[in-house]
Amino acid sequence: MIVTKTALPRRTFLRGLGTALSLPLLDAMVPTLSPLHAQRVASSIRRLGYVYIPMGMNAAAWTPATEGRITELSPSLLALMPVIDNITVISNLELRNAYTTGNHASSNCTFLSCSRAKRTEGSDYELGTTVDQIAARAIGTDTQMPSLEIGTDLIAQVGNCDNGYACAYQNNLSWSSPTSPLPTEADPRVVFERLFGDGGSPEARRAELKKSGSILDWMTNDLARLRRELGAGDRVRVGQYLDSVREVERRIQRAEQSDAATLPDLDRPASVPAVWEDHVRLMFDLQVLALQADVTRVITFQMARETSTRTYPHIGVPEPHHPVSHHTNDPEKLVKLAKINAHHVSLFAYLIEKLHETPDGDGSLLDHTLYMLGSGMGNPDVHDHTNLPIVVAGGRGSQFKGGRHIRFDKPTPLANLHLTLLDKVGVHLDTFADSTGRVDGLEPLNV
Amino acid sequence: MRVGGLMHNRWTACLAASVAFLVAFAVILAGEPRQQSATVPSASPSPDRATLDKYCVTCHNGRARAGGLALDTTDVSQVAGDPATWEKVVRKLRGRMMPPAGMPRPDEPTYEALATHLETALDSGAAARPNPGRTDTFRRLSRVEYQNAIRDILSLDVDVSSLLPKDDASHGFDNVANGELSPTLLERYLAAAQKVSRAAVGGTLPSPASHVVILPSDLTQEDHLDGLPFGTRGGTIVRHTFPLDGTYEIQMRLSRDRNENVEGLTEPQQVELMLDGERVQLFGVKPNRNQSGAYYADEAVDKDLKARIHVAAGPHEVGVVFPRKTFALEETERQPSLAHFNMDRHPRVQIALYSVSIAGPFEPGTLTETPSRRRLFVCRPASAATEDDCAKRIVSTVARRAFRRAVTDADIEAPMRFYKEARAAGDFDDGVEMALRAVLASTEFLFRIERDPRTVKPQTPYRISDVELASRLSFFLWSSVPDEELLDAAIAGTLSRPATLERQVKRMLASPKAEALVTNFAGQWLYLRNLAAANPDARTLPDFDDNLRQAFKRETELFVESVVQEDRSALDLLRANYTFVNERLARHYGIPNVYGSRFRRVTLGDDSNRGGILGQGSILTVTSYANRTSPVLRGKWILENIVGTPPPPPPPNVPPLKDTDTNGRLLSMRERMAQHRASPACAGCHQLMDPAGLSMENFDAIGRWRVRTESGSSVDASGGLPDGSTFTGMSGLRAALLRKPDMFVGTLTEKLMTYGLGRGLEYYDAPTVRDIVRDARGQDYRFSSLVLGIVSSDPFQMRMSQ
Repeated sequence: MIVTKTALPRRTFLRGLGTALSLPLLDAMVPTLSPLHAQRVASSIRRLGYVYIPMGMNAAAWTPATEGRITELSPSLLALMPVIDNITVISNLELRNAYTTGNHASSNCTFLSCSRAKRTEGSDYELGTTVDQIAARAIGTDTQMPSLEIGTDLIAQVGNCDNGYACAYQNNLSWSSPTSPLPTEADPRVVFERLFGDGGSPEARRAELKKSGSILDWMTNDLARLRRELGAGDRVRVGQYLDSVREVERRIQRAEQSDAATLPDLDRPASVPAVWEDHVRLMFDLQVLALQADVTRVITFQMARETSTRTYPHIGVPEPHHPVSHHTNDPEKLVKLAKINAHHVSLFAYLIEKLHETPDGDGSLLDHTLYMLGSGMGNPDVHDHTNLPIVVAGGRGSQFKGGRHIRFDKPTPLANLHLTLLDKVGVHLDTFADSTGRVDGLEPLNV
Repeated sequence: MRVGGLMHNRWTACLAASVAFLVAFAVILAGEPRQQSATVPSASPSPDRATLDKYCVTCHNGRARAGGLALDTTDVSQVAGDPATWEKVVRKLRGRMMPPAGMPRPDEPTYEALATHLETALDSGAAARPNPGRTDTFRRLSRVEYQNAIRDILSLDVDVSSLLPKDDASHGFDNVANGELSPTLLERYLAAAQKVSRAAVGGTLPSPASHVVILPSDLTQEDHLDGLPFGTRGGTIVRHTFPLDGTYEIQMRLSRDRNENVEGLTEPQQVELMLDGERVQLFGVKPNRNQSGAYYADEAVDKDLKARIHVAAGPHEVGVVFPRKTFALEETERQPSLAHFNMDRHPRVQIALYSVSIAGPFEPGTLTETPSRRRLFVCRPASAATEDDCAKRIVSTVARRAFRRAVTDADIEAPMRFYKEARAAGDFDDGVEMALRAVLASTEFLFRIERDPRTVKPQTPYRISDVELASRLSFFLWSSVPDEELLDAAIAGTLSRPATLERQVKRMLASPKAEALVTNFAGQWLYLRNLAAANPDARTLPDFDDNLRQAFKRETELFVESVVQEDRSALDLLRANYTFVNERLARHYGIPNVYGSRFRRVTLGDDSNRGGILGQGSILTVTSYANRTSPVLRGKWILENIVGTPPPPPPPNVPPLKDTDTNGRLLSMRERMAQHRASPACAGCHQLMDPAGLSMENFDAIGRWRVRTESGSSVDASGGLPDGSTFTGMSGLRAALLRKPDMFVGTLTEKLMTYGLGRGLEYYDAPTVRDIVRDARGQDYRFSSLVLGIVSSDPFQMRMSQ
């Protein structure tokens, strides 16, 4: 595999590195991964990613004017024009189970689970296993990390989770079981270290993995002892811990087997970029890097959180996102909501273009990847969960047809699309949550 | 109102006004066990029955069941039989939230009589059948707790945000409902154990690593910053733990504008690098002149701002500052805005620091002593023969601190095995490091585990052990592990003796570690934590910068700390006539004669708009949007955190509001909010929330006093509380809150208990809260009386078995 300059996020990494760290070393890294990588490409890798944007959209500016084959895009989606043949817009999908008394919490957590969140602020929270995790169990077992969950919110804010719902619902998109939310990491440096280690020689790294492995062995015994000491209810919890121990053991075995790259010293994102857009792009760069190096094949990215009050003065929206989203059909606010939507889509377009430009096997990374962009809310003014903004991006290797706008006459479960995308990465389920079927029209034109 | 139409009209009214309550309470009540009263209502109706019949059963009857509640058939003489329902009734009565506005309401004596009767009955019912509740068996250490525990166990400061993911909060606190351990989390804890044990032992040669600190981009650096040497301006101090003696490279970068030019560089300036307060090097930077004679600053300006210095292992302070020029003050005085960080609106006048990076070690030397090594190595083996004994002492000592109990041979068997393996492959330190890594990865360290004793029958309240009590205490007051003295008392079995307990609590509150009550508890209770993410709009609020953000935080922290440390009345949190300011904050508040960056206590005059947390910039900013105030957010904050009656969430499918009136005129914020309260779906809650927030309208979105709103109209600060009281402005709000001291103190007690117990409070906790508030009342609600009340209570000392 030839690593071209475009394959690496030169400029953006510089921003993230912050200071004095020389970038060209990064170029040196990918070739060390490539022999293994090239080998895997031959077996036609399937990858799946999800990007979440909060608080719905201005449907008028979002929805393409025509259906079927499209050659033009609506204002909010305009940034995707260069890759129009790699995207399909889908209208009138809905999340019935997101209608709750905690609509922001459920917009987030129902997006990938399509399940109804149990109303509780206690430790008994319960949802459904999310679609990315179902995919990870099937297509993530050959990689060091079955899946990657990332976001951009660095501090856990207080007081802005829906009353009656544990913050876990509003913070976490991915749930590996109905009771197991997966934490979202926003620090690029931490993400980088999780993907590629924190430096040192391969021997030192292997020695560290071996030590972690032996600590896990001991944890297994220790938890077994603990289980004997506890009552029936608490034993369930210990059982969950044991599952986690086994999963981490599996990951360590994978990492031990893998031909780990020797990372140049000092060469990792040092901190969080001060400008949010730079942060988002850096997180996208890391996603491309993770997929390219085949460290993981399933990614969820929460671009922003529900009830975000981020302002976007540089695009003409000095007002905070959440109050703008309650637009009350005020034309001025609707314009601003559309601007935020277009802005978020332009950042997503950066990812898709980057995937498109990155060579992978016999084509581009995008050819072997499917990404879904969307929100768990439709019209944010009334907190509804119908006519969700959804865009799917992918390439020919994913058995995916782009350049289309599919609009359902009747509100159709988002779960149908989840099932369809699972099909495309080789994971076949009869049903998922409230699904009623599959989404037609995503097949390539000439198969 | 015609009598004949009364029932019908009232019924319609209660339907309309209570849609939101209905939705909320139907959910709340669903699934809760309701005990059926077996007794038949007595023949002669009691006054309580009469009150209920007159004011409540119109909506809350067997047919309508508003909020899932039927009070017509419930026996009010058997209140203790259904505490879950009646506690809700009490809460609504105490907050005067029911009957809803617009419906006939009882007079004050009637309200009081009914509420008091119900409370008395509930309290005696609870005394007869105590239910201390059940804390979660597993509670994972939160980020803050982990960081503090490492500090106390190993004398090591770690940056926990790079070790562990952020915690999800429940019931407003991130130490509630966190028993989960996903594979991702477990991975992170394993990695943290490795990093922490390596840093604590030191000596292992890591590959050179860099630590980069980037200063907030909106930090104004024209003036002296608190905590930095006098005679300097701007800059920062980086506290960094150096892993090994050796040479480290410190590199500084200057702040640039978006054209990549160094900001504020119009003449030669100096940068000073310091280590532990001593000058290491003084650098000069100067602007370049381009062909047309204009100044510009290119990439090369700060490329030589670096030094290779020898540093001994352990924690050190790396300082980077700018020597202050004598005329700098005058120059900044001329600027209209106090904030200087933005090239378009209020540019920097002088150069500013962007980042400091510390890389190394290069040419590593030997390892000298560090605080963490001194804390960890309680012995040093004199010879190879005594190594194992010494290792055992080290491991036992650290395991005792980390597991927060006496350790057995079985506890240290595995860590010692790890020690031996690593010792065989390396040296003594390697062995200790591996044993420590195992201790830090143990569930006994990562979780606070409370076990039901085998002898206790199911569903029975039991007293937790003294050792468990010690951890409850230390995590409540210190957000950390118990210290030796507390642990000794617990292991000796004397901690639960009331006199010992009181002595320990007072000792702990006086300790600097009680700062956690301010930073961790109050940081979450009052939403101070959100200040870090508050980014007011630079166009409408150009005076805001990081200096002000930090000053807001500091003011409230110092203020809350003064109430805790001086053991003042909790009511002082609302009514104190003093606060803490530095020059920047004093100017923001319009307080004269305060100079310099140092914070000091100032007494406020009777005519001051400030005093108490409600008038502090921190609270007023975190309850605002970036470009305007939000009476809804502020009102909700007051109800949730001060009054203790959080409004239910908005119902699904709220209808949109109109922006204009019938003539097409754009409605003002107040008018639109009035419409909010007129819409049946919204009114139930908004008529409770909004008025409290509206009374705070004299403070803008960054807490400045104002007489005109964002739109230019004059401020109308009339408002009210759910109890029906109406008033104007902050002083009116404060007075109304202080008229019902039990309400605020009760809310604070509930918040402290939620945080201290790590669980949401339930109906069966209400008698305890009332009891604590009653006892505290006799002691002028002193802060320690609340803490002692909580610590001595059944929920804190007991637990219901499974």
